[in-house]
Amino acid sequence: MARPDGDRIVTIEALGLEKRFGAFAALRGVDLKVEPGELLALLGPSGSGKTTLLRTIAGLERADCGQVLYEGIDADTISLRDRRVGFVFQHYALFRHMTIADNIAFGLKVRPRRGRPPRAEIKARVEKLLELVQLQGLGGRFPAQLSGGQRQRVALARALAIEPRVLLLDEPFGALDARVRKELRRWLRRLHEEIHVTTIFVTHDQDEAFELADRVVVMNDGKIEQIGSPAEIYDQPATEFVYEFLGGANRLPCRVEAGVALIAGTRLATDLPRDFSGEAIAFVRPHEIGVTRPNGHLDDLAHVRSILPIGPDARLDLEHQSGHIEALVPREALDAAGIGVGSRCAVRIARARVFRASS
Amino acid sequence: MRAERPSLVDPWPLRIIAGLLIFAFVALFLALPLWTLFAQAFAKGTEAYLRAIDEPAAWSAIKLTLTVAAIAVPLNVVFGLAASWAIAKFQFRGKQLLTTLIDLPFSISPVISGLVFVLLFGLQGWLGPWLRAHDIQVIFALPGIVLATVLVTFPFVARELIPVMEAQGTQEEEAARLLGASGWQTFRRVTLPNVKWGLLYGVLLCNARAMGEFGAVSVVSGHVRGRTNTMPLHVEILYNEYNLTAAFAVASLLALLALATLAAKAALEWRGRTEIAS
Repeated sequence: MARPDGDRIVTIEALGLEKRFGAFAALRGVDLKVEPGELLALLGPSGSGKTTLLRTIAGLERADCGQVLYEGIDADTISLRDRRVGFVFQHYALFRHMTIADNIAFGLKVRPRRGRPPRAEIKARVEKLLELVQLQGLGGRFPAQLSGGQRQRVALARALAIEPRVLLLDEPFGALDARVRKELRRWLRRLHEEIHVTTIFVTHDQDEAFELADRVVVMNDGKIEQIGSPAEIYDQPATEFVYEFLGGANRLPCRVEAGVALIAGTRLATDLPRDFSGEAIAFVRPHEIGVTRPNGHLDDLAHVRSILPIGPDARLDLEHQSGHIEALVPREALDAAGIGVGSRCAVRIARARVFRASS
Repeated sequence: MRAERPSLVDPWPLRIIAGLLIFAFVALFLALPLWTLFAQAFAKGTEAYLRAIDEPAAWSAIKLTLTVAAIAVPLNVVFGLAASWAIAKFQFRGKQLLTTLIDLPFSISPVISGLVFVLLFGLQGWLGPWLRAHDIQVIFALPGIVLATVLVTFPFVARELIPVMEAQGTQEEEAARLLGASGWQTFRRVTLPNVKWGLLYGVLLCNARAMGEFGAVSVVSGHVRGRTNTMPLHVEILYNEYNLTAAFAVASLLALLALATLAAKAALEWRGRTEIAS
């Protein structure tokens, strides 16, 4: 069998990918290296180019500019058949006129005679895959007779049948209800640990990305905003967009003087250049905010609008002169400082990420 | 507040009136003519009926009609598949124009379709001298009749398939390609099976029209008895000769063909529905 790279799990690289659909720029310069065997999430809002990137890697779209490399080889020179991409479509795209078993066997049956396994072996492989995706005994049914979650797993089995060198999933759980979605997520994670094939999946759901992926690629407007482990992305969002997209953080306008920001009365060093002065935006997570008794200063003074107890903590709605602030503080601290609804308090910012205000 | 949902079932007087109208229409325009047709055909007994059909000119007309359909229908199946596949699965410049052109035979009179071929291939036509020099006869011969039939019937298959293929989208084809299927394997194993009922239905309609076509064929055939007369033309000639029994006998064959087509169509629709429901 003449396969360019044998059966190894491959490294996939995207170099400077650009793609336009008419006037819409879906990809504008994407560079990405996918490590062998990793589970990578492409996370972003709709229209951010994540699906286009996935389809370009698969070979379903051709980039206007740039290259996709499979193990260092330009993918344009590898036929779709030889790429051996396992692709799971958002709506599964099962062959509706074929039984489940025939769907799964398709990739093996269409091989040229030289590379095609004998009939008995195909049958055995289909049985094994049905077992892997926990659909034993359903091989004779048609796709229309299965539930969404079952179809999803058939699509996965069909993609795995060709022993793909890379598995690509487009919004794999998008069309399922919440419960099935959670179950399948865990199942996919276990499956990946078992077969360890390089896997890229597209999602707009950050929980899904963070729970499943080894690394997450956050995309926006045809570009990559940040690549990192779920913890890295959560702890150190690289850009304003990532903060906004992850949500939950306070967005406070502030002023920076010589690289030091004044955020709701707290002075904090920033990553901005020393010589930078001007308007900026600070992102502060609720648990990075503390409150104390008012101390006579005006610029950190806030009005407590409401207090919502959440276990040992309480969520505070604060009205500050720079805007609305949400804080999460231990209830003990509140009691110690004598802070209640309607009272005043001083805001302390422990940590913040500051970005230049885009004018 | 009592919000009564408007009834989706019409009140009974309307239903009775509509039912009577439909019944009257079917009786007047379908059942009565059909009954007359067979009554006239058998007016002088079964023997006369068989004699009218078992006659060289009639046999020749039947053979010619079957030959023309046997050539024109496969041609239009190939054309219809290619056109609907291109229109439904790909984006290209001039797609709208192609879609409009496919409908053209529906909108122009068949007589004009026939005349076009006479102007092209006739003795005084554009290609006439060249054809005569090479001893090829198109007009007043089988090739002309086939050409006219193909032109008149070519929308049937494509029109049937385009909506079916468009509704199905391209994802199954993409999946097939990524699983390693070649373009031909993808077409044969995925695209074609998905449209088989639509295709069969289109073929039936195309065939019915190919056998029944009168106008276009009449212009190009030249009405040479025993040579270039199709069944509809033969019926007309017999009728003009006041040979009513023979005319209605041959016409009854065409009518039987139409009834068979309708039955097959109904069977297909039933089959298609149960398959979708399963």
